[in-house]
Amino acid sequence: MTQAHSVILKIENITKLHRQFKALNTISLEINRGEIFGLLGPNGAGKSTLLSILAGSSKPSSGFAWLDGMEIQPNNLKLRARIGLVPQDFAFYEDLTAKENLLFFGQLFGMQGQALTNKVNEILEIIGLDDEKAHQYSKYFSGGMKRRLNLGIALVHSPDILMLDEPTVGVDPQSRNRIFEAIKIINAMGTTVIYTTHYMEEAETLCNRIAILNHGQIIACDTLKNLLSLTQTTINFSILENDQTKAGILQQKLPELKSELLQGSYSLTSHKNSTPDIINLLVNEKIQIINLHLDSPNLEKVFLSLTGRHLRD
Amino acid sequence: MQSFIIAKKELTLLIRDKLTATVLFVLPFAMILILGLLLGEGFGQKTDDLMRISVLNLDKGFGLNNKPWAQHAIEDMVSTPNIKVEIIQSKELAEELVKAGKRAAVIIFNPDFSDRVNECSFLSTGVNPFHRDGIYLEKLQVSIVKDNKQPATSAIIESVCQIALLRIVMPWMIGKAFEKLGDPEFIELLGKEVSLPVPPSLRLLIPKDKIPLGELLQLASGKDVVLAKNYREKVGAGIQTALTGQFKNYNLTGKSWASLTRSVNNVETANTLTTFKNEDGTGILKRGAIRYQILVPSFTVMFAFSLILISGWIFVAEKRQGTFNRLLSTPVSTPRILLGKFLPTIIISLFQIFFLLGLGKVLLGLKIGLPSWGLSDWIIALIVLPLATSFCVSSFSLLIGLLSKNETQLALFSSVPVCLFALIGGCIFPWEMMPDNAKTLAFLTPQGWALDAFREIMPSSFDTTTDFQLIWKSTLVLTAMGFILISITWITLGRIRFGNS
Repeated sequence: MTQAHSVILKIENITKLHRQFKALNTISLEINRGEIFGLLGPNGAGKSTLLSILAGSSKPSSGFAWLDGMEIQPNNLKLRARIGLVPQDFAFYEDLTAKENLLFFGQLFGMQGQALTNKVNEILEIIGLDDEKAHQYSKYFSGGMKRRLNLGIALVHSPDILMLDEPTVGVDPQSRNRIFEAIKIINAMGTTVIYTTHYMEEAETLCNRIAILNHGQIIACDTLKNLLSLTQTTINFSILENDQTKAGILQQKLPELKSELLQGSYSLTSHKNSTPDIINLLVNEKIQIINLHLDSPNLEKVFLSLTGRHLRD
Repeated sequence: MQSFIIAKKELTLLIRDKLTATVLFVLPFAMILILGLLLGEGFGQKTDDLMRISVLNLDKGFGLNNKPWAQHAIEDMVSTPNIKVEIIQSKELAEELVKAGKRAAVIIFNPDFSDRVNECSFLSTGVNPFHRDGIYLEKLQVSIVKDNKQPATSAIIESVCQIALLRIVMPWMIGKAFEKLGDPEFIELLGKEVSLPVPPSLRLLIPKDKIPLGELLQLASGKDVVLAKNYREKVGAGIQTALTGQFKNYNLTGKSWASLTRSVNNVETANTLTTFKNEDGTGILKRGAIRYQILVPSFTVMFAFSLILISGWIFVAEKRQGTFNRLLSTPVSTPRILLGKFLPTIIISLFQIFFLLGLGKVLLGLKIGLPSWGLSDWIIALIVLPLATSFCVSSFSLLIGLLSKNETQLALFSSVPVCLFALIGGCIFPWEMMPDNAKTLAFLTPQGWALDAFREIMPSSFDTTTDFQLIWKSTLVLTAMGFILISITWITLGRIRFGNS
């Protein structure tokens, strides 16, 4: 197959059972080398479970996953050296400084000497914790700084694939941007990234391809563009209540138009491609428009259209 | 190598956690010190063990077998079951001990005691020491210094003294009296007092109805002085023989209680005669006090095992923080990660043991070992035993830390090995203060074994030898317990899943 050389991670029919509950249901995916792959889904969709299996932290009930052809299994120490895992919770030692944390985990990955020091300094710079912050106990860090350190630890051993489990939960916009920048830098250096989130904006901003998970199943997996094409842009506008006769004319001329009485005005919705017709019609009929809003497609809408519920439900 | 990196990290974290470090090292010593200052000299001594009789022997005379009578009295008391005799060195010390309430009473055998006992006799010229309730102590030059605040105990001590004196004076007097039966004076007296009827056939020769025994002997000897004396002696010997035959269960000439009653002393006296030693310590810290020989090993063992809680807590905190999962995501095998957790506990435990023993030695005058110990003995006591203890502690810590999912579970799980086992093992209440069967129960706990061995290397002032067999046995048991706990940890490890599921 032509893509064989570019696939770094292959997942085949992975199922994970927690007693009778199926946390993951026959998941199959291929992730390409060098891409930022998003796993989007609401809380409890199975993102963290899938990530823990891919990181070798837990075993699937059935199915397989391969990293560069090597089967991912919990006791495969060689594979662990190629994976960088950023857990959802802060996972570092608060009584160690940022630099000490990085040095400690770097040593566990077999790094030492000047190479380790150089790498740690590089990571500290990437995550914006260089200078004096590097020597502060991490317990005194802000939430954003802790998130960045959490990320940095996963990068210290230069992994081939970086797995991030909702790395921006509870951080300020500045730190979020810093994390995004770091991910982009790491990705530009050739590291494949798997990014789980329930924030569609993050997936839209960062990811080349996105898999949408719901109830342990992948309901869609494609590029952002292709996913967005699953829904259409809509136009919402409102007219005065006393123009209801004219609303009838609009309805007659544009049968796809949906109308509803809402707080003294008519709210009318149509697809994007009928926008010029609607505008012309409104001008010609001299209908007074209270407001007009163009609603572009997004992943939230995609998720809504696919599952009938919102991402953050 | 990776295990050492983890171990180094654990030690760094512990050093930075000053409160925990304080709890580990300062608190045990502070507790030893506080209890050492608060507790009295009697701490750790079993109250119902032996009745202690304190004696001051000033006797300068000699009695039976050329031995001072005071020595006979002391030996008599020593031979009495459930009594131990403590020799006090001076009258001033005796008075000081009684005044301080440390002794209820001290029996003093004054310099003329032997002379006075020697003078005791049933003869009218002798000293009669008896009265209705026993013996006049003052007549025998015996005095008792008493603490008025301990009347019951001092009354018991006086009774013991009375009985001992009766047992030496009475046979002495009987023996002497029995010897008197052969004396010419006695036969002379007997000859006058005993009159025998004269048979009719002899009336011509002796024209009396009755004749005194003395006259009869005189007649029999034909008024030969030598022969008469010989007859009198024979009568004396005959009376003695007759009495001996009559009272054959007693040796009336024995002069000692054992001889008189023909009894054998079966009481083990090896540990019942001691000399008073000031074991209350000196200086503000009561340096050298005997109670430190109990407190230091007890708290050393108790706090060594309290590491289970601290190490377990570090383990649980690591799991809760997610760093344990992070460790599991590194290319370090789980056994090596556990070894990295195991090593610091051993190091801390060893350091804690040496810290307490060292401080105990320097500040509290703790006695460790005996002058007779060789290098190998010191190695066993100060390296092998602490290592075995620390190994057992670390194994326990690992298991408890692994089993506990949160701090609440840890507190519950560790309360058994830390608190309950310490109580049963004798770390909180010394075995001497507990019922006899408590020690059997103590050996169900690692603390019991560890404490038994640690107390052996910190001997009391009475110990002259060390039971190294006991130390080896404890060491082996602790090591075996450690291996069993590690095996359970290993089995448990396979059943416990880490990380987000």
